Amino acid sequence: MNKKIPFILIMPIVLLGVLFMYGVINGIVQGFGYIPAFNLRHITLDYYIEILNSDTFLDSLKISLQISVTSSIISVLLGTMLTAALVYTGHTEGKVIQVIKLAILIPHTIVALFSISMLSQNGLIARLFYQLGLINGQGDFPLLLYTKNNLGIILGYIWKEVPFVAYFSLALMSSINNTLGEASENLGASKLKTFFHITLPLSMPAIRKAFLIILTFSFGAYDLPFLLGATVPKALPVQSHIEYIHPDLRHRPYAMAINGLILIITWTIAGIYYLITKKKKIKGDIHERY
Amino acid sequence: MKDINSNKLLKLFLYLVLFAILTPMIILLLLAFASRWPWPSLLPDTYSLRAIKEVLAPHTKVVSTLFSSIILSLSVAILSAIVGTMTARALVLYEFKGKGFIDFLGLAPNIVPGAIFAMGIHVVFIKISLADTVLGVIIVHLMYTLPYSINIMRDLTKSIGDQMEMQAYVLGASPLKAFMYITLPLLTPGIMASVSMAYITSFSQYFITLLIGGGKVKTISLLMVPFITKGDRNIGSAYALVFAISTLLVFIIIDKIIKKITISK
Repeated sequence: MNKKIPFILIMPIVLLGVLFMYGVINGIVQGFGYIPAFNLRHITLDYYIEILNSDTFLDSLKISLQISVTSSIISVLLGTMLTAALVYTGHTEGKVIQVIKLAILIPHTIVALFSISMLSQNGLIARLFYQLGLINGQGDFPLLLYTKNNLGIILGYIWKEVPFVAYFSLALMSSINNTLGEASENLGASKLKTFFHITLPLSMPAIRKAFLIILTFSFGAYDLPFLLGATVPKALPVQSHIEYIHPDLRHRPYAMAINGLILIITWTIAGIYYLITKKKKIKGDIHERY
Repeated sequence: MKDINSNKLLKLFLYLVLFAILTPMIILLLLAFASRWPWPSLLPDTYSLRAIKEVLAPHTKVVSTLFSSIILSLSVAILSAIVGTMTARALVLYEFKGKGFIDFLGLAPNIVPGAIFAMGIHVVFIKISLADTVLGVIIVHLMYTLPYSINIMRDLTKSIGDQMEMQAYVLGASPLKAFMYITLPLLTPGIMASVSMAYITSFSQYFITLLIGGGKVKTISLLMVPFITKGDRNIGSAYALVFAISTLLVFIIIDKIIKKITISK
């Protein structure tokens, strides 16, 4: 066959990919203070050092980690339960799955609207609490939006990520349950025992990957913390954007240094994931078959 | 006995999750049509079309923005499917130098958070005058959707292989003809999945569109967000409704077109 064909086929991805890489690398370079257009030519680590020593950054980092770690752990637990519920009640296709897909497709901007209408002090849940006599007025309902506890954001992520985890790990868990799970039950193990000793451990590759995806996504995402977050401290991507659009253009390196740190943390998490999965792969390749 | 109980618990959990997913959607629908909904009523007192009318009024430019927004996202979706199919073909069916690098390029946007690559690329786009343009927004959305498209098309290309195309060559068809008549119809389900996925991803973007489009490229998400920030639930919900219904219609139309093409072949 013609030897040129593969090179014609990869042309668009090379163009877009190189542009992408150039953009990311350019941003990283700016974080080291090199922006000739603004007369900044001195390559330095000062911006990184300054940011790592600033309380604003450390508070933002704490908030971002708190949001992403809390929401991802709860989501992966509930999501795994949902997967199991779907598999064991025989809802691996049909209307129920459509509803779950719907939640995955809804954008974060609309999820923010959900959070506002459900969780604010005159939202639906507050009204329900009042009707049930649990609170005496709007003021008694805890503040969940635009405050430091960030519960509105965390619940918003959970709403979106539980269905995602379930959808992502459903195929694997369902196929394991149909083969090895049933074999185990036929041999006399109880359903509960089979789930915890066979089905769940073998479904872990998909669940672990789903966890990695939601953890890194919620750590670096802008929309929900921008729409529902407190004035201070802001989540890292929001803080970075504020520095980015600062009227004094010499603030640009601060934005890029924050971005650099977000990247370092995201990649460290991904690196740890690959180290863990590599070890597991050496131990046993069984999941490869599914 | 225990098993029956645990199954009941799982069923209960499943219903609770479905309830939690659907309730906010129903509330949104009610909010879009509520005219008076005072504390502490659980349902609106009166309903009206005020919010919907306000959103669709000529001065908001929603209808024209909706139209251009759909065209933009459809362009992203179609380009993403084409580039995804091409890249997947190269990666699955051919051996060439730098294959690993292409593989990496295709997945790279997945490991860089959107907000961060948007800022990096914005700087570059200002230099090459792509900032504040529709083309610039399309390119950035494309970078964001391509990893998914490549993934979908790759699995499918792998399962189809090139055996059947080879048979067509042997029987005298040109490579292009063999691809168009043999492989393309087999790839349709993947292309369909890739188009829908890329469309909804592009249509949902807020931050990337705002930054790269500089506020000059307007989409429905961009028109909706100010009302969410203001906390105007009625208008925000009406926008969300426009968003959902238009997406549904586009999906139905794509589905019809694809079905027509595959049946006529």
